[in-house]
Amino acid sequence: MATAIPSIACLGVIGRNNNPLHTSIFPSYDPSTNTFRPVRTPLQFSLILSSTLDVFELRARQNAAAGVGLTGDFGLLHAIDDRLAAYGFETNTGTRFVVVVDMRGRRIDSAVAAGLVEGGGKDKRLLASTAAAGLREGEMRPVFKAMHAAYIRLTQNPFYEPDEHSPPAGHGGKKITSRKFAEDMRRIGENWTPGVTNL
Amino acid sequence: MDEYPAGSLEHAIPFLLTLGTRTGTPYDPQLSPALKEQAVLIRSELPSLDSDPASALLRYLQDRDASQLPCNGRDMSRKYRFKIQTAERSLLLPPRRARLPDGFEAPSPSPSTVLHSPYSPLSPVSPLYPDGLIDTQWIRKHRDFVPSVLLCFYALSSDPTLATLCDNQIKTDVNNIRALLSQSGYKTRLAVVLLSDHTSHSVDSVQERLETIRKGCGLDPKVLFLVPPSDSQDELERVAENMLTTLYSIALEYYRDLGRHARKKRSRGIAPQPTVPPTSGTSQTLSLAGWNVRYDFKSAIFAEYRLEMDVALRSYEQAYENLLSSELMELIPSWSPRWNEARFLADVIAVRCLRCLLWNGQYSAAVRRWQSHRERIADFVDRRGRGTNNYGWEAWEARWADVMADLIEKADIPELGPSAPRLCLPPEKSVMGERLRPWELLHHTGYWYLLAAQHLRSRRALAHSIPEDDRRSPSASPASHVAKSAFSYDTYMCPNPFEEYPLNHTGVDHGRMIVDRLLRARADFLKRGQVRLAAEVSLECARELAVAKDWKNIVELLRPHWKDLPFRKEGWVEIVEELNCILRAAAAAIGNAELVIAIDWELLSRSFTERPDWHYNILRSLEGINTKSRPTVSIGDGQILSFISASFLFNHEEGKAGQSVRGQLCIRSDAHRRSTPVALSRIRVHFRGSVDAIILRHQGTEHAQRQISGNAALFAVSLTTQAGDDGISESTESDDAANKVTLSGFADLTLRPGQTLVLHMEIPLREPGETRAESVVMYLENEAFNLEQSLMFRERSSLNLWYISASSTKHVPRAHPLTIRVLPRPPKMEISCPKWEEQYYTDEPISLGFDIENGEDIEAVARLDMLLFGEKPPTFAVDIPGREIQNSSSVRSEESKLSGAPLGAIESSKSLTITLRLPPIELSSRYDLTLKVTYFLSTNPGTPISQTANFQLNVVNPFEANYELLPRVHPDPWPSLFDHESISVPSTASDGALSVPKGISQAWCLVTRYASFASEPLRVVDIDVSIHTSPTSSIQCTTVQKHTDLPVSGRLINPKTIEEAAFDLVAQKSSVDDRSHASLDMSLIVKWTRQNPEAGDSSDASPDDANSAKVNTTTLPVPRFTIFGTEPRVLASVSRRQLLSPAQPLVTLTVTIENGSNHFLTFGLVMEPSEQFAFSGPKQTTLNLLPVSRRSVEYRLLPLKLPAGGGKENEKKEAGREEEEEEEEEEEGGVWIRPGLVVRDKYFQKILRVIPGGEGVRADKDGFEIWVPLPGLGSASSGSSG
Repeated sequence: MATAIPSIACLGVIGRNNNPLHTSIFPSYDPSTNTFRPVRTPLQFSLILSSTLDVFELRARQNAAAGVGLTGDFGLLHAIDDRLAAYGFETNTGTRFVVVVDMRGRRIDSAVAAGLVEGGGKDKRLLASTAAAGLREGEMRPVFKAMHAAYIRLTQNPFYEPDEHSPPAGHGGKKITSRKFAEDMRRIGENWTPGVTNL
Repeated sequence: MDEYPAGSLEHAIPFLLTLGTRTGTPYDPQLSPALKEQAVLIRSELPSLDSDPASALLRYLQDRDASQLPCNGRDMSRKYRFKIQTAERSLLLPPRRARLPDGFEAPSPSPSTVLHSPYSPLSPVSPLYPDGLIDTQWIRKHRDFVPSVLLCFYALSSDPTLATLCDNQIKTDVNNIRALLSQSGYKTRLAVVLLSDHTSHSVDSVQERLETIRKGCGLDPKVLFLVPPSDSQDELERVAENMLTTLYSIALEYYRDLGRHARKKRSRGIAPQPTVPPTSGTSQTLSLAGWNVRYDFKSAIFAEYRLEMDVALRSYEQAYENLLSSELMELIPSWSPRWNEARFLADVIAVRCLRCLLWNGQYSAAVRRWQSHRERIADFVDRRGRGTNNYGWEAWEARWADVMADLIEKADIPELGPSAPRLCLPPEKSVMGERLRPWELLHHTGYWYLLAAQHLRSRRALAHSIPEDDRRSPSASPASHVAKSAFSYDTYMCPNPFEEYPLNHTGVDHGRMIVDRLLRARADFLKRGQVRLAAEVSLECARELAVAKDWKNIVELLRPHWKDLPFRKEGWVEIVEELNCILRAAAAAIGNAELVIAIDWELLSRSFTERPDWHYNILRSLEGINTKSRPTVSIGDGQILSFISASFLFNHEEGKAGQSVRGQLCIRSDAHRRSTPVALSRIRVHFRGSVDAIILRHQGTEHAQRQISGNAALFAVSLTTQAGDDGISESTESDDAANKVTLSGFADLTLRPGQTLVLHMEIPLREPGETRAESVVMYLENEAFNLEQSLMFRERSSLNLWYISASSTKHVPRAHPLTIRVLPRPPKMEISCPKWEEQYYTDEPISLGFDIENGEDIEAVARLDMLLFGEKPPTFAVDIPGREIQNSSSVRSEESKLSGAPLGAIESSKSLTITLRLPPIELSSRYDLTLKVTYFLSTNPGTPISQTANFQLNVVNPFEANYELLPRVHPDPWPSLFDHESISVPSTASDGALSVPKGISQAWCLVTRYASFASEPLRVVDIDVSIHTSPTSSIQCTTVQKHTDLPVSGRLINPKTIEEAAFDLVAQKSSVDDRSHASLDMSLIVKWTRQNPEAGDSSDASPDDANSAKVNTTTLPVPRFTIFGTEPRVLASVSRRQLLSPAQPLVTLTVTIENGSNHFLTFGLVMEPSEQFAFSGPKQTTLNLLPVSRRSVEYRLLPLKLPAGGGKENEKKEAGREEEEEEEEEEEGGVWIRPGLVVRDKYFQKILRVIPGGEGVRADKDGFEIWVPLPGLGSASSGSSG
């Protein structure tokens, strides 16, 4: 079992009106066929992303009552099953980032290769040990940081009008169509492995 | 958890059995028949109790049964936990020793033939014989068959005659039971409850009896309980609690003994030999490792009975490790039934471990344990068994998730309860900081059921992939094949392949199992407010139900989600689409036409992916669906993702009532390109405000005013007013809409995919106020169904496009394009005053003519309101031609008002002149005059229109004046106090009016200078002074003479020129004795007329000729003067005489000293010589004045050094002192000379001022001067007074 380590299965950006802004789906390793393919269909990922909104709402109520939660990092929202888990982050403008982690998304050897490419200095044992155990508390923080940075870059684009995507009064909104943003998301999703601190 | 054999997984609770009471549900342990045969019967000979106290106690005990309590160690208040059951009179205990199998010939009846428990693998009767480990039966033995405590109920009779007998019976019975128990070999503790039925006995005697019974039975005093008869429940409870607590410690002792026994056996370290050596099968017996597992398991179970969960956990773990070690399970071949038994045992141990962990609150450890068991078993099954890639493994996985859910539910963790805000628990302290998998935070049961459902789906998928050969029942397939398939499927706790998914009949209903788990999960999610996740689960559930073709349930399940869930609003289109697809299929299957139409309508939207096999024609959506009646579907705004969007725009922000405004209704279709155009039958636009609704009906014919360009089709729709609602749709509340207008028109309402229908309308506005377009309802009516789609208009300032033509648009940058402000109808009635003047004068009647001109197209019936506002406005009269004069009424002090004066009908473009008449106003003031004409047009008699005009009326005083009161010497002598004849007798003057004043008299001259402040020259006809004498006044004053220069016809006075007039006054006191001051009140009366009455045509006097001749009288009040002071005064007056020659004027200066006081006064007069003149008269003299007297001194003055001739000659010889004033003194026709006369009050040493007392004398600050006219120049001064 230690041959698989977590990877990102899906990155979602949800707007202030609970509307989906962006969804990136990443393939996971399938040991039975020895190939990479997404663990769920896009529809199922949509459902997973939307179901995190329940948790966001629940937590927001809780945080409001307790007066905490200023950082916006919601940490683990819930584990959908023993394989997939959803982590959440909320910006101060109400945009939510959701990372769906597949706890068995990568083979250890491919991860080692990725780790070597990424960090260079990390040795195999470190990665093996991270793989054996699950995830630490703040392991998702670099992902959210990178997503936030990408989102900020997106909003800096003068042609991107946030109000079109999440109208202040009303509901729904357009999805993000920026190719650069999608590319950023793809990069983040593919490059993350446990222990990566900078994306 | 239910799939495991009963009793295998349940929490172990000490077992207490009561004996000797009647009960409705007697205890039946259901021993297996083989054991029943040899079972030990323990029987109470005494009849079972049925008394009230006994059953009350029993009921209480049964209530305290702990077998359903949550499995956690949190309830510390509970001092005991018992599983309590009731046997009436007898119970069966399983045999302690198994019998030898029938037909077994002992090789030699030696003591080596040791009999063992029937539950032991040593006994041939046991199913475990010879090499099994342990099974459920053993767990059940302690759980259900063998009680830890046997509690016997007896009645303690109080009847003294029966007491001894009864006691003896009890003793016998107890001894009997005890003997039977010890015979059975079980160490079950015996306890006795005596229910006393009477209290009359003394405590001592009862105590004595108890002691006897105890001794007779050899009982421990701890286990003999006396229940005194009592009615109170509290007492009963106290006794029962006490008893149970005591018994609990005894029960724990019992289980501790058993545990000790198990450990002792383990520590022997040898595998015991079976009763009979095995002869069948492999003939191998249970290894020592196996025995160790068995002993560890036993001691763990006993520890669990004692609630020593840590101890139990340790023993379980030890048993588990040993079980899965290479010595035990690795050695069991997978074809052997022992393989599955071992797996089962591993499961049981793991479940019990999990329970211990949950009991201790180690939730993350529990999940880890759960995972590690799964992983180990998977690994094991992969290596040694039949692999994990078959339905059996997935069945186990699902079961394993179920078990966890069950355990969590039983553990009843409050932090995970429905009201708790958490979905998963934080990791406990021991594992905090470690790298945890997210799943290792214990989630609530919903997630576990979801996991189970997921595995069940895999199970079904795998089951469905079983080849057909294996699905045949073994009887129908060749034996070789049966043998082969027997080893390729894992059938641990699940049916064989030919039962799992049989070829020719239904097997395991996977769908139902999945739905069951999903519904449980859904309920859990709903409880915690996870509506979206619950919807997702419902969706999955519906998919399963669709497989089972349970359409009705699908509709029931999904319909609420379809209607209410936020997905649609939030834009999760793909989810909505999935929901729609499933629900449509189900609705079509059960014939729910409304739902089918609504979904088809929604699916027309291009937001959803286009299905190639779909017709996209709303009219065909009911094909193949039987409907009893024509369905009517009403879809509200936002209820579905409509492919139609609508917007409305008014062209202008403001409009006026009576005019019309242009509005555009845009209806945009975003249907799939392939879809059939939708022909709406009607559109109804709702407004708030004066317009009620606009109804547009479909008219298929080519419209004349239609432009089509690209995707836009522009229509100009002409609207006609409709009396009421047309009856096609149900009339709305008509009372409210009584004065509202419904407009209707026709247009081609066919909506092609992607097209925008622009309907251009001229909307007449009737009522002032705000009108707002609210919503639009579209009707689609055909023979199959009716559909109503309503849409609210939304205000989005960014998207307000006005279609100028079909191809060109403009942006309307208004914040509220849906709203138009309707201003009141502009009045076309003009009010004017052609001869308005800047100012009007006081004391003159004012007459103002106003023209009211009707600028409307038709005749108007008008009324007039007039309001004069200001300080003390006068009442006025209004002269309306052809009607009576209307007078105003003063409502408040500062306004004068005429309201509702009818003006009658005014023809179009005709005018009416009314005249406002104001009486003379006394004070100068300012008024606001407001005229309001309210009129109705005959075309719209309900709407009043009003026009208002404001004027400011300035009324000013035309004249102003200042006044001077100069003293004069009265020529008449003063009355003397010493003349008795002149003294009035008060008695004779009884009538004040007739009395002749007898007091002193004074003469005055009032000089007034007045000026006109009018804007035009006015003719002053006369000027006069009026003296106000009040009856109480002590003086009498008359005008003697007035000096004005006015001709009889008056004089025209230009504005701002000063005119002068003088009046001589004589005032006389009525009594000599009166010494007080007197005040003099006068007013100046100016009589004037307008300038030129004959220049008639432009003057305001034209309507009234009398006005010109009329003399207006303006009265100006003169400030009050005070006369008759008590101080003496010195008056200087002059007279002239031509004495010597005309060139030498002689001036006589008379100095009169008046003493109006009651004192005798003495004055000194000194006349200083001067260079200016020569004088004769006393140079220095003394005057004595009696009270109320006056005296005069006369000087004759001859001016010296007068200019020789001509106008300008200085009198140089006397100019020594006042050279600087020379120029000033020199005037036309004469000179001023200054006599140096000083009058001094001798007594007060005060110099009195000399006051000019007539013409030719003037005073200044240094003294007084006398005018000397120069001869030859004529008389420059007017006549002297004296």
